[in-house]
Amino acid sequence: MDQATLINKDVNIVAYYFKNNARRLRCFPKRMEYDGKRIDFTETGLVHPTKQGQRMIHVFDMTDGQADYRLEFDAQALSWKLVAITDTQYAPVSTQFAPSY
Amino acid sequence: MPRYQPNLHLATNPEQPQILHIDLNSCFATVEQQARPMLRGRPLGVTNRLTKNACVVAASYEAKAQGVKVGMTFSQAKLLAPDLIMIETDPPKYHYVYKKLISIMRSYSPKIGMKSIDEGVIDFHGTRANINTRPLAVIGQEIKQRLREEVGSWMKCNIGIAPNRFLAKTAASLHKPDGLDVITHKNLRLTLSEMKLTDLTGIAERNQARLNAAGIYTPLQFLDAPAAVLAARVFKSACGEDWYQRLRGWEVDDVEYTTKTVGRQFVMDEWQPTEEVLHSRLSHLAETTAMKLRHRGLAARGVYLYLLYANGDVWYERKLFKTPVFSGADVLRRSLLLFNRRPRDDWVRMMAVSCYKLEPSNANQLSMLEEINRQTWLSEAMDTINNQYGEFTITYASTLAAKGLIKQKIPFGSTRYFELLCNRA
Repeated sequence: MDQATLINKDVNIVAYYFKNNARRLRCFPKRMEYDGKRIDFTETGLVHPTKQGQRMIHVFDMTDGQADYRLEFDAQALSWKLVAITDTQYAPVSTQFAPSY
Repeated sequence: MPRYQPNLHLATNPEQPQILHIDLNSCFATVEQQARPMLRGRPLGVTNRLTKNACVVAASYEAKAQGVKVGMTFSQAKLLAPDLIMIETDPPKYHYVYKKLISIMRSYSPKIGMKSIDEGVIDFHGTRANINTRPLAVIGQEIKQRLREEVGSWMKCNIGIAPNRFLAKTAASLHKPDGLDVITHKNLRLTLSEMKLTDLTGIAERNQARLNAAGIYTPLQFLDAPAAVLAARVFKSACGEDWYQRLRGWEVDDVEYTTKTVGRQFVMDEWQPTEEVLHSRLSHLAETTAMKLRHRGLAARGVYLYLLYANGDVWYERKLFKTPVFSGADVLRRSLLLFNRRPRDDWVRMMAVSCYKLEPSNANQLSMLEEINRQTWLSEAMDTINNQYGEFTITYASTLAAKGLIKQKIPFGSTRYFELLCNRA
């Protein structure tokens, strides 16, 4: 089973990075402060919008190389929420399918 | 007028391929691996419910390499791939990728069609002279590149190019993952000679048995069979002629089908559901079925109820009414009429509610009967509140017990309710 731990707490994003992707300048979280720790993201997995009623929520799936983080940005309240952290206790990646970053 | 043409003789379509079929590889699993880099390179299964008997609806290539197949239960898959990671489906992610894929496809031709969540067809007819002047294989490579740039570096797709939709889909399945193949009248026989009958889309065990009974054992023999034999002896209908043309590269699948039924089904969450539990699940199914009807601006006259019992028995009943309905309460009332006639010999395992005899809804037309107007206004008010604050913010009391349990999951095949599904996710 998946090792996701639900957090559902507001967090501070203290640094951003920008990327000119598909002719649009887009903004992504770079550093997060949570539970007294500072987490630097190394890669953005997928950013997709979702809705809660009429409220637009942007979901950011991020990783710091150790774990995957699911962050939600509320476009109305302009707040960040850490939804879940996924455990890293997976088996080693098989060499046949190892990702080439 | 009958479509049967006993003397149909056609050569292979010599046209340059103009149909491009795109198939996202292991779509849900690949999207999850794109979203969560820690899952990349690992055997991954995606399921609708995280239970040991839930079935795998998508498996990553790493899992497939260990023998995991779509449709297996989690416990079966775990035996084959002990390191398998199972996660639940997340429809908004797939919806995002689906919309991205559509926007990429639309940039090449106005004539596109989505076959399912992860499959689309671009028809290049009429666009090659001035806009898409490059070879389609080059455009295919560009689409792969754009998918990686606009969605993510882990995304892969198979592309097939051929003179018709069927052969384009066949080409897209030749080299997975991340393949690009072209079938033309020149390499058609060579391509078919390397395939089995069941490799062809639409030929499964039963059609294979029909073909075998007529002495057809390979796709090449299928291609060489006369139209009269396919129509009269194998398929015993005009389908035989469709296959005759389809295999030769002539287009017979450019058809839009209208919605005939709207419904929902649910596998019971309790082994021995009581009467109250059954009622609450039925109520929820009726309400969500009505929601789908309203989403498409339809009303239905017929209601169909299907029950599967623990001993494997099946019971179903349908009834056609004089007046059409579109509200949850009305669909439930009609479903209950049927439901109360069911045999009570065993525990219900699965139930499904469907509406048929669909017609455009006349919800905007005031009725002469006050009772009908009140029902319409109530449905409209509920839809407005739910659209504003999220689905099931307000609902019937009878469905409350099922609210968190019956989750709308990925609609396979059809993408008609994707918007509705994502509003509720």
